[in-house]
Amino acid sequence: MLLEVRDLHVEFHTRDGVAKAVNGVDYGVDAGETLAVLGESGSGKSVTAQTIMGILDVPPGRITAGEILFEGRDLLKLKEQERRKVRGAKMAMIFQDALSSLNPVLTVGAQLAEMFTVHRGMSRKDAHAKAIELMDRVRIPAARERVKQYPHQFSGGMRQRIMIAMAMALEPKLIIADEPTTALDVTVQAQVMDLLAELQRELRMGLILITHDLGVVADVADKIAVMYAGRIVETAPVHDIYKAPAHPYTRGLLESIPRLDQKGQELYAIKGLPPNLTRIPPGCAFHPRCPMARDVCRTDVPPLYDVTESDAERGSACHFWRECLHG
Amino acid sequence: MAETTEPILEVRGLVKHYPLTSGILFKKQVGAVKAVDGVDFELARGETLGIVGESGCGKSTVAKMLVNLERPTAGEIRYKGEDITRLSGKALKSVRRNIQMVFQDPYTSLNPRMTVGDIIGEAYDIHPEVAPKGDRRRRVQELLDVVGLNPEYVNRYPHQFSGGQRQRIGIARGLALRPEIIVADEPVSALDVSVQAQVINLMGRLQDEFDLSYIFIAHDLSIVRHISDRVGVMYLGRIVETGRDAEIYDHPTHPYTQALLSAVPVPDPEAREHRERIILAGDVPSPTNIPSGCRFRTRCWKARERCALEVPALAVPAEFRSVSGPAAHDSACHFAEEKQVVPPEGEGEGEGSGPG
Repeated sequence: MLLEVRDLHVEFHTRDGVAKAVNGVDYGVDAGETLAVLGESGSGKSVTAQTIMGILDVPPGRITAGEILFEGRDLLKLKEQERRKVRGAKMAMIFQDALSSLNPVLTVGAQLAEMFTVHRGMSRKDAHAKAIELMDRVRIPAARERVKQYPHQFSGGMRQRIMIAMAMALEPKLIIADEPTTALDVTVQAQVMDLLAELQRELRMGLILITHDLGVVADVADKIAVMYAGRIVETAPVHDIYKAPAHPYTRGLLESIPRLDQKGQELYAIKGLPPNLTRIPPGCAFHPRCPMARDVCRTDVPPLYDVTESDAERGSACHFWRECLHG
Repeated sequence: MAETTEPILEVRGLVKHYPLTSGILFKKQVGAVKAVDGVDFELARGETLGIVGESGCGKSTVAKMLVNLERPTAGEIRYKGEDITRLSGKALKSVRRNIQMVFQDPYTSLNPRMTVGDIIGEAYDIHPEVAPKGDRRRRVQELLDVVGLNPEYVNRYPHQFSGGQRQRIGIARGLALRPEIIVADEPVSALDVSVQAQVINLMGRLQDEFDLSYIFIAHDLSIVRHISDRVGVMYLGRIVETGRDAEIYDHPTHPYTQALLSAVPVPDPEAREHRERIILAGDVPSPTNIPSGCRFRTRCWKARERCALEVPALAVPAEFRSVSGPAAHDSACHFAEEKQVVPPEGEGEGEGSGPG
């Protein structure tokens, strides 16, 4: 396994109390594999990613427990100096908002070249040539001229390509993409996702794709981890989860999206709201919104049960996963 | 549903150009951003017209003109037969009462210093004839109840609510004056998936309850299909294809609509293999410099010489005029042809959702 997150706990100290953002997350990615982490805002999907990258703001954030094993080493035990060597070179991140992730007063060429001068000790001239090569690779037309332009001179899709180029620059083993196409139009989204998937295949990278879009997940993922209130509630290979979800939250999500190929009547809506992270309900965090909830759900936190039926591994954190899967 | 009587809203040749000027003292116009460049549609009573398009296609500018937040450069907006673009004063005020708007961003469209009661009730200060003074608080509480919020919340401030609840407040404000038409500009795009469904259902229910007509503007094609009776697809300031929802989604004839539909990710991993993707090259051209002839030709794989010379009209294409099937709907393309891009559902596997 390339990356393995084990029992990760992260909390934030806020004025309203301690917000428990991540409460025991386990997941892993292999080289060449795509893991989609699915969840709504506040589910802890981005905080987990930031912790893996080592860009979590501490304080207010605090990692209270857990391990992040990357190529066998626990990243949380590394010194900041060593961590910096991993970050960028071995793992890289693509953010949602490319405009605010790029430096507006530097040309894109300078920002791309920096990767090579800082991490590889290249001369500025070589790095500049590398920058053009990268822009070509992510199919930005007229790369030789556009390398001198500033981020605001590019369209949203082109900017996201530059972010991808930057992440790919040092051919990392792992890419974390946090909602990479959410800010883009559908036709551009398709172009960017295609590019990302192609480069991933070519370089055999592990990809963690963080998203809330069930459509994007179905298009590219190998396996899925569904997060709710800082925990993984279901994990499964992509085909299984769409066919037969084993957690009522996943099921609710799948039923609540309007479909392109049919005109629905009333949409199924999960009642209520995601919980406040300073006051996560006892027992199963989803129980106040769950149509299947019973007494045990209000008191006992469900473990991630092994619900493997065929050869692929599956897990569901629901006391009544059997009913959900078969009923 | 759609009636055959006179439409409640009729838009003809709607144009909005924003001038580009140069010079400080003696400004001279050097060009124009052609945000909306000739849009026609009509809306029947009780109907929902969905307008889809990518960012920059002019859909939000159309919305603003409908509620008179922007004055059109040219064209007519007829509300019950009367052109409202030329109105002012009292007449304009009374028309505005009947056409209300719900905005996209529930975080910035509510004044943070006003209580929910004041936000919704403000409409009654401007249109006192709708609710007599002593009755307003009760009216506001009724509205909160209608949109599924606790009526006790009237004295709370917007920051005390979640995004979905704020959008409900925005909808309550839109309903306050009992309008006939609601223009909703991306009303659910800022919300989480589970909350999106709640708000869409609410809008559907309110439509039946208050006999509302909706203009529903969004970039999410699945949501538009769910809620709309008819759909118009916009590209670079114009509607390129329009028809009933099944005509557009199952029998699109314009290449842009086909590309748009094929790019939507479908929540079904089985569809990955046998789905044809049309990936458009390049970006949308700048609205200051619209291509000649068909404005889509620079990205179209079917473009020929004729497309650069002749602007295609939004009408039933010649090849479909003799047939009466679902392909015979308005499409602004010289070389329109039917193409199925959304795979028909029912690839084995029961959905598990069913009607219940």
